Amino acid sequence: MIGVVPRFFYRLGQIMMFLGDVLKTLWHRPCRLELVLEQVWYVTLQSFPTTAMAGFFVGGIMTVQFAMQVNEFGAAAYLGGLSTSATFREVGPMLIAFMLSGKVGAFTSAELGTMKVTEQIDAIRCLGADPIQEVILPRFLGIIISSFFLLTGGLMLSVVGGATLGVLFAGINPQEYVRHIPTIMGWPSILSGIVKCLSYALVLATICTYMGYFTTGGAKGVGRAVVSTSVLTMVTIVVFDWGTSFLGQLMLSWFAIG
Amino acid sequence: MIKYKNLVKSFGTRTVLKGIDLHIKAGEIVFILGTSGTGKSVLLKNTVGLLRPDSGEIWIDGENVSGYSEEQFLSIRKKCGMVFQHPALFDSLTIYENIAYGLRKHFSMAENEIERRVEQALSLVNLDNILSKRPGEISYGMQKRVSLARTVVLQPKVLLFDEPTTGLDPVTTNSINTLIQSLSRKLNTTSMVVSHDMQCALKIADHIVVLDQGQVVDQGTPKQLLESEVPLVRDFLEEARNQ
Repeated sequence: MIGVVPRFFYRLGQIMMFLGDVLKTLWHRPCRLELVLEQVWYVTLQSFPTTAMAGFFVGGIMTVQFAMQVNEFGAAAYLGGLSTSATFREVGPMLIAFMLSGKVGAFTSAELGTMKVTEQIDAIRCLGADPIQEVILPRFLGIIISSFFLLTGGLMLSVVGGATLGVLFAGINPQEYVRHIPTIMGWPSILSGIVKCLSYALVLATICTYMGYFTTGGAKGVGRAVVSTSVLTMVTIVVFDWGTSFLGQLMLSWFAIG
Repeated sequence: MIKYKNLVKSFGTRTVLKGIDLHIKAGEIVFILGTSGTGKSVLLKNTVGLLRPDSGEIWIDGENVSGYSEEQFLSIRKKCGMVFQHPALFDSLTIYENIAYGLRKHFSMAENEIERRVEQALSLVNLDNILSKRPGEISYGMQKRVSLARTVVLQPKVLLFDEPTTGLDPVTTNSINTLIQSLSRKLNTTSMVVSHDMQCALKIADHIVVLDQGQVVDQGTPKQLLESEVPLVRDFLEEARNQ
């Protein structure tokens, strides 16, 4: 137990140094664009069904849950706005990011980890190339770009899911549902959702590439890297969610907007 | 060609190399023998800068490379090609692209010249008609040969082999060992082979070095090693006789 805190800060420091190396490489020796596009295409194609389904049902769950409360107070007209705002600001980005960490994060760390333990990363160095530039950077950028699109796409579908499941299972009038969305959900909610999507994409890309790149210990090590990626990504996303929400509220109160 | 002076390397509290002093002469085939975890692979990885020593010096072709940066090691890696324990081929690339990878990174070369060198390297390891295949489509033994071709295509002065026959059947093991010997002679390279196989070492090595617990416990020509009184060497010889 005593070693947990120093170990946490040691790991955090290592991740930050790794991120620094990746950004330095991006600045000095960017990788080929086709490698990044290949990753974007692959990750998006691989994960779109999962995020679309997650987004659709997250919106639906929020609507059905809110429907019970708002009906009690005779405020059913505001259901669309309330549900969409809550999904965009908090639950949507986080739950979809969890899905992505289980799919994209685990896949990437397993792929990189296998390359590490089968000495492919060492071979790249011996053959005169930089593994950060050749292997890490395309995946890092690919995951950030595709995760951002997947998360925002998932959020769009959460609105559709909220309306559809609300109509089907909570007897909501669809026109009424849509009419009050702009009333409650202003730019701050949309901005909050976008900032969260971006920060979660960065967290996911950094942690899964780091865990894969520093894998040691054969097949068991790859397994450990995959588990650590999922756990660490989810915990970090929850902490980031709190951080971005807190900062968002602070900025709203300063500028008195929304 | 390669000199190690009092080389020390630790991982955490565990010291793996405890002051290695060794001289590898140009053109020799040198076998590094020892039990598992005794620092043989660590010695090779220090040579090409995949690991860095804690203290001591490594001299390659008259250059002290111990304090070299990653960029400075690029020229050393052109000179010293390494064949890994795993074939370490890139799954997403064809055999042609795998072999051409180092040529594209180390040199600026015309495509027809790359093609010529790749085909030549593949024929050196007795393979053909697999250029368009991917590593997953050929056998493990063939992958090992392709890995060897990927290294020799760069025409290095030194070839480093990290347990090249691990996981192979006796017939393929024999053919890989023969290949190491013929390539080293044909290309006139200095070869360092990390292995457990004393029988093979006695057959093809010019010089054998035996490591135990991070130290050189004995070394010499195969003939000299046969007379050794060091218990570990005797064990290896006994094992070789029983094979």
